[in-house]
Amino acid sequence: MISLPFGACLIALFGLAGIGAPIALSMFVAAILYLFVKGHDPGLAAEQSIQGLYDSFLLLAVPLFIVAANIMNQGTISDRLLDFCKAVVGRFRGGLAQVDILVSLIFSGMSGSAVADAAGVGKITINMMLRSGHYSPGLAGAVVAASATIGPIIPPSIPMVMYALISDTSIGYLFLAGIVPGLLMTVVMMGITTWIAHRRDIPAEVPVPVRELPKVTFRALPVLFMPVILLAGIYGGATTPTEAAAVAAAYALLLAALFYRSVSWRGLHAVLVDSARSSASVGLVIGSALIFNYIVASENIPNLIAGWLAQTELSPLAFLLFANIIILLLGCLLDATTIILVILPLFIPTCRELGIDLVHFGVVMVVNCMIGLITPPYGMLLFVINATTGIAIKDIVREVMPYLVALIASLLIMTLFPETVLWLPRMFGYQG
Amino acid sequence: MKPATLWLRRRAEDVAAGLLAVMFLTFLVQIFTRYVINYPLAWTLEVCLTLWLWLVFWGAAFILDDRDHVKFDMFYFAASTRVRRILALVTAVAILAGFLAALPATWDYITFYKIKKSATLRIRLDIVFSVYGIFAVAIITRYALRAWQLLRGAEPDAVAQPHEQVAVE
Repeated sequence: MISLPFGACLIALFGLAGIGAPIALSMFVAAILYLFVKGHDPGLAAEQSIQGLYDSFLLLAVPLFIVAANIMNQGTISDRLLDFCKAVVGRFRGGLAQVDILVSLIFSGMSGSAVADAAGVGKITINMMLRSGHYSPGLAGAVVAASATIGPIIPPSIPMVMYALISDTSIGYLFLAGIVPGLLMTVVMMGITTWIAHRRDIPAEVPVPVRELPKVTFRALPVLFMPVILLAGIYGGATTPTEAAAVAAAYALLLAALFYRSVSWRGLHAVLVDSARSSASVGLVIGSALIFNYIVASENIPNLIAGWLAQTELSPLAFLLFANIIILLLGCLLDATTIILVILPLFIPTCRELGIDLVHFGVVMVVNCMIGLITPPYGMLLFVINATTGIAIKDIVREVMPYLVALIASLLIMTLFPETVLWLPRMFGYQG
Repeated sequence: MKPATLWLRRRAEDVAAGLLAVMFLTFLVQIFTRYVINYPLAWTLEVCLTLWLWLVFWGAAFILDDRDHVKFDMFYFAASTRVRRILALVTAVAILAGFLAALPATWDYITFYKIKKSATLRIRLDIVFSVYGIFAVAIITRYALRAWQLLRGAEPDAVAQPHEQVAVE
């Protein structure tokens, strides 16, 4: 069933990645080995990665969204957002944790990255929670980790751009489809927080007087306006999602530089270098995944899987649940980028065969992968929070469990009821 | 890092930051000309795609250290220093061998494109694609050096402050 060259390729890939070699370079090496054993031109590795990156207009959104997120993490943009959220939900039990979740929700409408949310504004809210003395470090870290998973579900979203690339679905509809699930996750997590706050008697913040609300809102207005600009740009048909990414970055820069005067030339240079580094890192993973996908496709693996699953006469729902379990398990071990670019393409033909809507499948799988960011042992958000705040990973993991259960319950709802995902895109003319 | 290497590294970072900045500005020009003055330019898209290609491979060649890459390093860090040295050496040699073995074919692929020009700017495509060659040679050099250092007894993960986490997920 698996040919010798492909077997060698898989062994090289898992062997190298397993001992800690960079995943992107492991894929290059495994692909080159495959081409040699197969007797093909080893130059195909260069060809596939160059052409894949050079031909994809869609992928240009990735570096632009990274720039936008990094600019917003500079300076006072996040401060104003925090003041606003504190005025709105600080008055409830577990006030600061609720503030963090609301901030994550709004921030997710501006940045497409969970890691950027946790490392930027999440770091600030953790410090606020710790200073108040009502939150254990583990709980503070857990709230921030869990709420950061909303980031790539509400548009914009870098993982969804990658999914659109491998599945050939419309990024515009994917973005729309993420909104209701993102709100669902927010509500569920706020509920869990209220429950924990009651049990541990975590108080509310001193409420901001209602008459100050307009002022606080006004100060945060330019920031709150950003998601509106993005979404109106895309769905008003004015700009493509890629162009919206550039507009978002420009708007963030304009705010930071002119309006709030919080970015210096030096700061801008640092933002660009950091963004360039992140872009190169993810670009290389994408480039290498494209070679690997070329090999997987030429070995006809996705169709083999589809055929094999067709024989088992799995119902679409059973397949969705099965795929969810597989990806949740893989999410404990692999990073989301690798799962989306390398594993999900294996499932796409089966989805087509079973008549599963690819936008629905994409959103469910991206949510699933984001849950994977907080599941140990390999959870990127756990690492980031540990690295930026020094809170022990095992403390975060213990406290994150209720949130994990809640997120998996939300995932189940989205899986069982496709309307939760597809309702909004259908309102905007999606024919799926 | 030695001062000279560090200086080169800073300049490589400047180049990467410049590529990203120009790409960003070109995009804004594209949006402005298309939507504001209704006079779309043909060359902006190609500039962006070319800069993106260069950003990825230039960055991967010169500003990403071994530790900046996305990795699955659970087993690696569970191992003793002695075992880690061996794993790091296997990694370095495998990457070196793979890229070295593909280098002649890669060279052929890139130089083949001297006969073709890009769609709107009419730049020779072997020049556009040459950045992959730069990347391949840089990877070969970097991992040859790493293998050599590990053989001479260097610490497998003697690194300075790690960079910020990669913010893409």
